[in-house]
Amino acid sequence: MSTRTESVDLVGDEAATNVARAALFAALVGAFAYVSFPHPFSASPITLQVLGVFLAGIFLGPVWGGGALVLYLAAGAIGAPVFSAGTGGLGVLLAEPTLGYLWSYPFAAALIGFVVHGGVTLRDIDTVGLPRLVGAMVAGTAVIYAFGVVGFAVVLELTLVEAFLTGALAFIPFEAVKMAAAVGVVRSDAIAAN
Amino acid sequence: MTLAYVPGDSLAHRLDPRSKLLVQAAFAAAAYAYTTPRGLAALTVVAVGSLLSAEGGPRDLWGYRFAVPFLLVAPLVAGATLGEPWFRLDRARDTTLASYRVLLVLVVAAAYVRSTPVRDSRAAIQWAIPGKPGQFLGVGVALVFRFLPLLKRDLLATREAIHARAGGERPLRDRMRLVAVGGINRAFGRADRLGTALNARCFAWNPTLPRLSFGRGDYAVTAVGVGLFAVATMASI
Repeated sequence: MSTRTESVDLVGDEAATNVARAALFAALVGAFAYVSFPHPFSASPITLQVLGVFLAGIFLGPVWGGGALVLYLAAGAIGAPVFSAGTGGLGVLLAEPTLGYLWSYPFAAALIGFVVHGGVTLRDIDTVGLPRLVGAMVAGTAVIYAFGVVGFAVVLELTLVEAFLTGALAFIPFEAVKMAAAVGVVRSDAIAAN
Repeated sequence: MTLAYVPGDSLAHRLDPRSKLLVQAAFAAAAYAYTTPRGLAALTVVAVGSLLSAEGGPRDLWGYRFAVPFLLVAPLVAGATLGEPWFRLDRARDTTLASYRVLLVLVVAAAYVRSTPVRDSRAAIQWAIPGKPGQFLGVGVALVFRFLPLLKRDLLATREAIHARAGGERPLRDRMRLVAVGGINRAFGRADRLGTALNARCFAWNPTLPRLSFGRGDYAVTAVGVGLFAVATMASI
Protein backbone atom coordinates (compact mmCIF):
# COMPACT_ATOMS: atom_id res chain seq x y z
CA MET A 1 0.00 0.00 0.00
CA SER A 2 1.39 3.36 -0.93
CA THR A 3 1.07 6.47 1.15
CA ARG A 4 1.04 10.01 -0.02
CA THR A 5 2.19 13.07 1.86
CA GLU A 6 1.36 16.63 0.96
CA SER A 7 2.19 19.82 2.74
CA VAL A 8 -0.75 21.89 3.94
CA ASP A 9 -1.10 25.34 2.40
CA LEU A 10 -2.86 27.36 5.09
CA VAL A 11 -5.30 30.11 4.27
CA GLY A 12 -4.41 33.38 6.04
CA ASP A 13 -6.57 35.00 8.72
CA GLU A 14 -7.93 37.78 6.58
CA ALA A 15 -8.61 35.58 3.55
CA ALA A 16 -10.39 33.01 5.72
CA THR A 17 -12.74 35.68 7.07
CA ASN A 18 -13.34 36.99 3.56
CA VAL A 19 -14.09 33.51 2.22
CA ALA A 20 -16.51 32.96 5.11
CA ARG A 21 -18.20 36.32 4.51
CA ALA A 22 -18.51 35.73 0.76
CA ALA A 23 -20.01 32.29 1.36
CA LEU A 24 -22.42 33.58 4.00
CA PHE A 25 -23.49 36.42 1.73
CA ALA A 26 -24.09 33.93 -1.09
CA ALA A 27 -26.24 31.89 1.27
CA LEU A 28 -28.02 35.08 2.38
CA VAL A 29 -28.91 35.99 -1.22
CA GLY A 30 -30.25 32.42 -1.51
CA ALA A 31 -32.28 32.85 1.69
CA PHE A 32 -33.59 36.19 0.37
CA ALA A 33 -35.10 34.24 -2.55
CA TYR A 34 -37.54 32.76 -0.03
CA VAL A 35 -38.64 36.13 1.36
CA SER A 36 -41.40 37.10 -1.01
CA PHE A 37 -43.78 40.00 -0.98
CA PRO A 38 -46.89 39.59 -3.16
CA HIS A 39 -46.81 41.55 -6.41
CA PRO A 40 -50.04 43.40 -7.25
CA PHE A 41 -49.70 43.03 -11.06
CA SER A 42 -47.70 39.89 -11.70
CA ALA A 43 -47.93 36.16 -11.07
CA SER A 44 -44.35 36.16 -9.77
CA PRO A 45 -43.82 37.61 -6.30
CA ILE A 46 -41.12 40.18 -5.51
CA THR A 47 -38.12 38.58 -3.84
CA LEU A 48 -35.19 40.26 -2.16
CA GLN A 49 -32.34 38.71 -4.20
CA VAL A 50 -31.55 42.01 -5.93
CA LEU A 51 -31.37 43.70 -2.52
CA GLY A 52 -28.81 41.03 -1.61
CA VAL A 53 -26.83 41.90 -4.77
CA PHE A 54 -26.82 45.61 -3.80
CA LEU A 55 -25.69 44.86 -0.26
CA ALA A 56 -23.00 42.37 -1.36
CA GLY A 57 -21.41 45.05 -3.52
CA ILE A 58 -21.72 47.69 -0.82
CA PHE A 59 -20.52 45.67 2.19
CA LEU A 60 -18.00 43.29 0.59
CA GLY A 61 -16.65 45.50 -2.22
CA PRO A 62 -16.09 44.66 -5.87
CA VAL A 63 -13.82 41.61 -5.45
CA TRP A 64 -15.46 39.65 -2.63
CA GLY A 65 -18.95 40.97 -3.48
CA GLY A 66 -18.63 39.72 -7.05
CA GLY A 67 -17.07 36.51 -5.70
CA ALA A 68 -20.01 35.99 -3.33
CA LEU A 69 -22.44 36.13 -6.25
CA VAL A 70 -20.27 33.73 -8.28
CA LEU A 71 -20.55 31.33 -5.33
CA TYR A 72 -24.31 31.85 -5.32
CA LEU A 73 -24.55 30.85 -9.00
CA ALA A 74 -22.16 27.90 -8.58
CA ALA A 75 -24.06 26.56 -5.57
CA GLY A 76 -27.35 26.96 -7.44
CA ALA A 77 -25.92 25.23 -10.52
CA ILE A 78 -25.08 22.07 -8.60
CA GLY A 79 -28.44 21.97 -6.89
CA ALA A 80 -28.63 24.27 -3.85
CA PRO A 81 -32.22 25.56 -3.74
CA VAL A 82 -31.14 29.22 -3.93
CA PHE A 83 -32.88 30.57 -7.03
CA SER A 84 -36.32 32.18 -6.92
CA ALA A 85 -39.00 29.97 -5.37
CA GLY A 86 -36.34 27.63 -4.01
CA THR A 87 -35.26 26.07 -7.30
CA GLY A 88 -31.74 24.99 -8.24
CA GLY A 89 -29.87 23.07 -10.91
CA LEU A 90 -27.76 23.88 -13.94
CA GLY A 91 -30.89 23.92 -16.10
CA VAL A 92 -32.04 27.18 -14.48
CA LEU A 93 -28.81 28.87 -15.60
CA LEU A 94 -28.91 27.35 -19.08
CA ALA A 95 -32.54 27.56 -20.08
CA GLU A 96 -34.93 29.41 -17.74
CA PRO A 97 -36.31 32.68 -19.14
CA THR A 98 -34.91 34.57 -16.14
CA LEU A 99 -31.35 33.28 -16.62
CA GLY A 100 -30.08 36.68 -17.75
CA TYR A 101 -30.95 38.20 -14.38
CA LEU A 102 -29.01 35.50 -12.56
CA TRP A 103 -25.90 35.77 -14.78
CA SER A 104 -25.88 39.53 -14.27
CA TYR A 105 -25.62 39.37 -10.46
CA PRO A 106 -21.81 38.95 -10.14
CA PHE A 107 -21.21 41.77 -12.63
CA ALA A 108 -23.75 44.05 -10.96
CA ALA A 109 -22.33 43.40 -7.47
CA ALA A 110 -18.78 44.02 -8.68
CA LEU A 111 -19.84 47.24 -10.42
CA ILE A 112 -21.74 48.49 -7.37
CA GLY A 113 -18.78 47.69 -5.12
CA PHE A 114 -16.37 49.42 -7.48
CA VAL A 115 -18.46 52.61 -7.67
CA VAL A 116 -19.25 52.73 -3.94
CA HIS A 117 -15.65 52.16 -2.83
CA GLY A 118 -14.09 54.10 -5.74
CA GLY A 119 -11.78 51.18 -6.59
CA VAL A 120 -10.95 47.73 -5.31
CA THR A 121 -9.81 48.73 -1.81
CA LEU A 122 -12.64 48.98 0.70
CA ARG A 123 -13.35 52.18 2.55
CA ASP A 124 -15.65 52.97 5.44
CA ILE A 125 -19.17 53.00 4.00
CA ASP A 126 -20.29 55.65 6.49
CA THR A 127 -18.11 58.12 4.56
CA VAL A 128 -19.79 57.33 1.22
CA GLY A 129 -22.24 60.02 0.13
CA LEU A 130 -25.86 59.30 -0.72
CA PRO A 131 -25.56 60.27 -4.45
CA ARG A 132 -22.68 57.83 -4.95
CA LEU A 133 -24.57 55.06 -3.14
CA VAL A 134 -27.74 55.55 -5.18
CA GLY A 135 -25.81 56.09 -8.43
CA ALA A 136 -24.00 52.77 -7.89
CA MET A 137 -27.26 50.94 -7.33
CA VAL A 138 -28.90 52.54 -10.39
CA ALA A 139 -25.93 51.45 -12.51
CA GLY A 140 -26.13 47.95 -11.03
CA THR A 141 -29.87 47.78 -11.72
CA ALA A 142 -29.26 48.84 -15.33
CA VAL A 143 -26.78 45.96 -15.73
CA ILE A 144 -29.22 43.49 -14.17
CA TYR A 145 -32.10 44.51 -16.42
CA ALA A 146 -29.95 44.68 -19.57
CA PHE A 147 -28.76 41.09 -19.05
CA GLY A 148 -32.23 40.04 -17.91
CA VAL A 149 -34.16 41.41 -20.88
CA VAL A 150 -31.66 40.06 -23.43
CA GLY A 151 -31.75 36.65 -21.75
CA PHE A 152 -35.55 36.64 -21.72
CA ALA A 153 -35.65 37.53 -25.43
CA VAL A 154 -33.11 34.86 -26.41
CA VAL A 155 -34.64 32.02 -24.39
CA LEU A 156 -38.23 32.62 -25.46
CA GLU A 157 -37.44 33.91 -28.97
CA LEU A 158 -39.15 37.23 -28.34
CA THR A 159 -38.18 40.70 -29.53
CA LEU A 160 -36.47 42.94 -26.96
CA VAL A 161 -39.63 45.04 -26.56
CA GLU A 162 -41.80 41.96 -25.96
CA ALA A 163 -39.23 40.62 -23.50
CA PHE A 164 -39.19 43.93 -21.66
CA LEU A 165 -43.00 44.00 -21.41
CA THR A 166 -43.27 40.39 -20.23
CA GLY A 167 -40.25 39.97 -18.03
CA ALA A 168 -39.13 43.35 -16.74
CA LEU A 169 -41.68 46.20 -16.75
CA ALA A 170 -43.77 45.03 -13.80
CA PHE A 171 -40.71 44.69 -11.55
CA ILE A 172 -38.87 47.95 -12.18
CA PRO A 173 -40.83 50.16 -9.72
CA PHE A 174 -39.91 47.81 -6.90
CA GLU A 175 -36.20 48.25 -7.57
CA ALA A 176 -36.56 51.80 -6.27
CA VAL A 177 -38.11 50.41 -3.07
CA LYS A 178 -35.18 48.00 -2.72
CA MET A 179 -32.70 50.85 -3.22
CA ALA A 180 -34.41 52.83 -0.47
CA ALA A 181 -34.28 49.75 1.77
CA ALA A 182 -30.56 49.29 0.96
CA VAL A 183 -29.82 52.90 1.89
CA GLY A 184 -31.73 52.34 5.13
CA VAL A 185 -29.62 49.25 5.85
CA VAL A 186 -26.32 51.02 5.13
CA ARG A 187 -27.27 53.99 7.32
CA SER A 188 -28.61 51.73 10.07
CA ASP A 189 -26.73 51.72 13.36
CA ALA A 190 -27.77 48.12 13.85
CA ILE A 191 -25.17 46.68 11.43
CA ALA A 192 -22.29 45.53 13.58
CA ALA A 193 -19.82 44.59 10.81
CA ASN A 194 -16.67 46.45 9.63
CA MET B 1 -41.23 19.52 -2.15
CA THR B 2 -37.80 20.96 -2.86
CA LEU B 3 -35.59 19.22 -5.39
CA ALA B 4 -32.56 17.78 -3.59
CA TYR B 5 -30.09 14.93 -3.58
CA VAL B 6 -31.69 11.60 -2.71
CA PRO B 7 -29.30 8.76 -1.81
CA GLY B 8 -29.69 5.75 -4.06
CA ASP B 9 -28.02 3.20 -6.27
CA SER B 10 -29.55 3.99 -9.65
CA LEU B 11 -27.64 4.20 -12.92
CA ALA B 12 -27.33 7.99 -12.62
CA HIS B 13 -26.14 7.74 -9.00
CA ARG B 14 -23.25 5.53 -10.06
CA LEU B 15 -22.02 7.93 -12.76
CA ASP B 16 -19.17 10.40 -12.35
CA PRO B 17 -20.38 14.00 -11.80
CA ARG B 18 -18.17 15.24 -14.67
CA SER B 19 -19.91 13.11 -17.29
CA LYS B 20 -23.30 14.18 -15.93
CA LEU B 21 -22.36 17.87 -16.09
CA LEU B 22 -21.06 17.45 -19.65
CA VAL B 23 -24.24 15.75 -20.80
CA GLN B 24 -26.39 18.53 -19.28
CA ALA B 25 -24.52 21.26 -21.15
CA ALA B 26 -24.58 19.23 -24.36
CA PHE B 27 -28.30 18.58 -23.97
CA ALA B 28 -28.96 22.32 -23.61
CA ALA B 29 -26.83 23.05 -26.69
CA ALA B 30 -28.73 20.44 -28.71
CA ALA B 31 -32.08 21.79 -27.47
CA TYR B 32 -31.17 25.32 -28.59
CA ALA B 33 -29.94 24.04 -31.96
CA TYR B 34 -32.97 21.82 -32.67
CA THR B 35 -35.99 23.74 -31.43
CA THR B 36 -38.24 21.95 -33.91
CA PRO B 37 -41.13 19.56 -33.17
CA ARG B 38 -39.04 16.56 -34.28
CA GLY B 39 -35.88 17.65 -32.48
CA LEU B 40 -37.75 18.32 -29.24
CA ALA B 41 -39.63 15.02 -29.51
CA ALA B 42 -36.33 13.16 -29.71
CA LEU B 43 -34.87 15.20 -26.85
CA THR B 44 -37.98 14.51 -24.75
CA VAL B 45 -37.07 10.83 -24.86
CA VAL B 46 -33.51 11.64 -23.67
CA ALA B 47 -34.79 13.96 -20.91
CA VAL B 48 -37.36 11.53 -19.55
CA GLY B 49 -34.81 8.72 -19.78
CA SER B 50 -32.27 10.70 -17.75
CA LEU B 51 -34.81 11.47 -15.02
CA LEU B 52 -35.91 7.82 -14.88
CA SER B 53 -32.27 6.69 -14.69
CA ALA B 54 -31.99 8.77 -11.50
CA GLU B 55 -35.19 7.14 -10.20
CA GLY B 56 -36.86 10.54 -10.34
CA GLY B 57 -40.40 11.42 -11.23
CA PRO B 58 -42.82 14.33 -11.60
CA ARG B 59 -42.42 15.14 -7.89
CA ASP B 60 -38.86 16.32 -8.56
CA LEU B 61 -40.13 18.90 -11.05
CA TRP B 62 -42.72 20.46 -8.74
CA GLY B 63 -40.26 23.14 -7.59
CA TYR B 64 -39.99 24.53 -11.13
CA ARG B 65 -43.73 25.33 -11.32
CA PHE B 66 -43.09 29.08 -10.89
CA ALA B 67 -41.53 29.24 -14.35
CA VAL B 68 -44.82 28.08 -15.89
CA PRO B 69 -46.74 31.43 -15.97
CA PHE B 70 -43.94 33.02 -18.04
CA LEU B 71 -43.86 30.03 -20.36
CA LEU B 72 -47.64 30.22 -20.92
CA VAL B 73 -47.83 33.98 -21.39
CA ALA B 74 -44.79 34.30 -23.68
CA PRO B 75 -46.37 32.65 -26.78
CA LEU B 76 -49.38 34.99 -26.47
CA VAL B 77 -47.12 38.05 -26.25
CA ALA B 78 -45.01 36.82 -29.16
CA GLY B 79 -48.05 36.18 -31.35
CA ALA B 80 -49.86 39.41 -30.58
CA THR B 81 -49.18 42.26 -33.00
CA LEU B 82 -50.39 45.84 -33.15
CA GLY B 83 -52.46 46.01 -36.34
CA GLU B 84 -53.25 43.39 -38.99
CA PRO B 85 -53.30 40.40 -38.59
CA TRP B 86 -53.41 41.01 -34.78
CA PHE B 87 -52.14 37.53 -34.00
CA ARG B 88 -49.29 35.78 -35.84
CA LEU B 89 -49.47 32.03 -35.39
CA ASP B 90 -45.94 31.40 -36.69
CA ARG B 91 -44.35 33.59 -34.00
CA ALA B 92 -46.55 32.11 -31.28
CA ARG B 93 -45.52 28.66 -32.46
CA ASP B 94 -41.79 29.46 -32.29
CA THR B 95 -42.12 30.75 -28.75
CA THR B 96 -44.24 27.77 -27.70
CA LEU B 97 -41.45 25.46 -28.87
CA ALA B 98 -38.92 27.63 -26.99
CA SER B 99 -41.04 27.38 -23.83
CA TYR B 100 -41.17 23.61 -24.12
CA ARG B 101 -37.40 23.55 -24.57
CA VAL B 102 -37.03 25.24 -21.16
CA LEU B 103 -38.97 22.42 -19.50
CA LEU B 104 -36.80 19.74 -21.12
CA VAL B 105 -33.53 21.28 -19.93
CA LEU B 106 -34.98 21.57 -16.41
CA VAL B 107 -35.88 17.87 -16.42
CA VAL B 108 -32.28 16.89 -17.20
CA ALA B 109 -31.00 19.26 -14.50
CA ALA B 110 -33.39 17.69 -11.99
CA ALA B 111 -31.90 14.27 -12.75
CA TYR B 112 -28.42 15.61 -11.91
CA VAL B 113 -29.47 17.28 -8.66
CA ARG B 114 -31.33 14.18 -7.53
CA SER B 115 -28.43 11.82 -8.18
CA THR B 116 -25.30 13.80 -7.20
CA PRO B 117 -24.12 14.46 -3.63
CA VAL B 118 -22.65 17.90 -2.94
CA ARG B 119 -19.20 16.50 -2.20
CA ASP B 120 -19.00 14.95 -5.66
CA SER B 121 -20.10 18.19 -7.32
CA ARG B 122 -17.52 20.07 -5.31
CA ALA B 123 -14.78 17.65 -6.40
CA ALA B 124 -15.89 18.12 -10.03
CA ILE B 125 -15.71 21.92 -9.68
CA GLN B 126 -12.22 21.75 -8.22
CA TRP B 127 -11.15 19.32 -10.95
CA ALA B 128 -12.41 21.73 -13.62
CA ILE B 129 -10.98 24.89 -12.04
CA PRO B 130 -7.53 24.26 -10.58
CA GLY B 131 -5.71 26.40 -8.03
CA LYS B 132 -7.08 28.84 -5.49
CA PRO B 133 -10.08 30.04 -7.54
CA GLY B 134 -11.27 26.43 -7.67
CA GLN B 135 -10.65 26.00 -3.95
CA PHE B 136 -12.57 29.17 -3.21
CA LEU B 137 -15.51 27.94 -5.30
CA GLY B 138 -15.40 24.48 -3.76
CA VAL B 139 -15.21 25.65 -0.15
CA GLY B 140 -17.74 28.42 -0.74
CA VAL B 141 -20.28 26.16 -2.41
CA ALA B 142 -20.04 23.66 0.44
CA LEU B 143 -20.57 26.48 2.96
CA VAL B 144 -23.60 27.78 1.05
CA PHE B 145 -25.25 24.36 1.34
CA ARG B 146 -24.42 24.29 5.05
CA PHE B 147 -25.62 27.77 5.94
CA LEU B 148 -28.64 28.24 3.66
CA PRO B 149 -31.07 26.46 6.05
CA LEU B 150 -29.73 28.44 9.04
CA LEU B 151 -30.06 31.81 7.32
CA LYS B 152 -33.54 30.89 6.06
CA ARG B 153 -34.51 30.19 9.65
CA ASP B 154 -32.94 33.48 10.79
CA LEU B 155 -34.98 35.40 8.21
CA LEU B 156 -38.15 33.55 9.17
CA ALA B 157 -37.59 34.46 12.82
CA THR B 158 -37.04 38.11 11.85
CA ARG B 159 -40.25 38.16 9.80
CA GLU B 160 -42.23 36.60 12.64
CA ALA B 161 -40.85 39.20 15.02
CA ILE B 162 -41.87 41.98 12.62
CA HIS B 163 -45.38 40.56 12.29
CA ALA B 164 -45.72 40.17 16.06
CA ARG B 165 -45.03 43.89 16.40
CA ALA B 166 -47.66 44.84 13.78
CA GLY B 167 -44.90 45.34 11.20
CA GLY B 168 -47.37 44.41 8.46
CA GLU B 169 -48.76 47.94 8.80
CA ARG B 170 -45.43 49.50 7.85
CA PRO B 171 -44.56 50.47 4.26
CA LEU B 172 -42.91 47.87 2.02
CA ARG B 173 -39.56 49.71 2.12
CA ASP B 174 -39.41 49.50 5.93
CA ARG B 175 -40.33 45.84 5.99
CA MET B 176 -37.61 45.05 3.43
CA ARG B 177 -35.07 47.08 5.42
CA LEU B 178 -35.89 45.33 8.69
CA VAL B 179 -35.63 41.88 7.13
CA ALA B 180 -32.34 42.81 5.45
CA VAL B 181 -30.79 44.30 8.62
CA GLY B 182 -31.72 41.20 10.59
CA GLY B 183 -30.41 38.90 7.87
CA ILE B 184 -27.12 40.72 7.39
CA ASN B 185 -26.38 40.94 11.10
CA ARG B 186 -26.96 37.22 11.55
CA ALA B 187 -24.92 36.45 8.40
CA PHE B 188 -21.97 38.61 9.46
CA GLY B 189 -22.08 37.20 12.98
CA ARG B 190 -22.01 33.66 11.64
CA ALA B 191 -19.31 34.52 9.07
CA ASP B 192 -16.95 36.02 11.66
CA ARG B 193 -17.39 33.08 14.03
CA LEU B 194 -16.88 30.73 11.08
CA GLY B 195 -13.72 32.58 9.97
CA THR B 196 -12.22 32.25 13.45
CA ALA B 197 -13.21 28.60 13.65
CA LEU B 198 -11.72 27.88 10.21
CA ASN B 199 -8.42 29.42 11.24
CA ALA B 200 -8.39 27.51 14.50
CA ARG B 201 -8.79 24.27 12.53
CA CYS B 202 -5.97 24.91 10.02
CA PHE B 203 -8.22 25.92 7.12
CA ALA B 204 -6.10 24.98 4.10
CA TRP B 205 -6.18 25.58 0.38
CA ASN B 206 -5.67 21.87 -0.27
CA PRO B 207 -8.04 19.62 1.73
CA THR B 208 -8.69 16.00 0.76
CA LEU B 209 -11.66 15.35 -1.50
CA PRO B 210 -13.25 12.13 -2.80
CA ARG B 211 -11.21 10.76 -5.70
CA LEU B 212 -13.24 10.87 -8.91
CA SER B 213 -12.99 8.05 -11.39
CA PHE B 214 -14.67 7.21 -14.68
CA GLY B 215 -16.50 3.86 -14.92
CA ARG B 216 -17.78 2.12 -18.02
CA GLY B 217 -21.12 3.92 -17.84
CA ASP B 218 -19.34 7.27 -17.75
CA TYR B 219 -17.67 6.66 -21.10
CA ALA B 220 -21.08 5.88 -22.62
CA VAL B 221 -22.64 9.03 -21.10
CA THR B 222 -19.68 11.14 -22.21
CA ALA B 223 -20.09 9.76 -25.73
CA VAL B 224 -23.77 10.79 -25.63
CA GLY B 225 -22.72 14.27 -24.48
CA VAL B 226 -20.10 14.62 -27.22
CA GLY B 227 -22.65 13.34 -29.76
CA LEU B 228 -25.23 15.94 -28.64
CA PHE B 229 -22.59 18.69 -28.92
CA ALA B 230 -21.70 17.42 -32.39
CA VAL B 231 -25.30 17.55 -33.65
CA ALA B 232 -25.73 20.99 -32.06
CA THR B 233 -22.62 22.22 -33.86
CA MET B 234 -23.71 20.73 -37.17
CA ALA B 235 -27.07 22.45 -36.90
CA SER B 236 -25.48 25.83 -36.30
CA ILE B 237 -23.00 25.60 -39.22
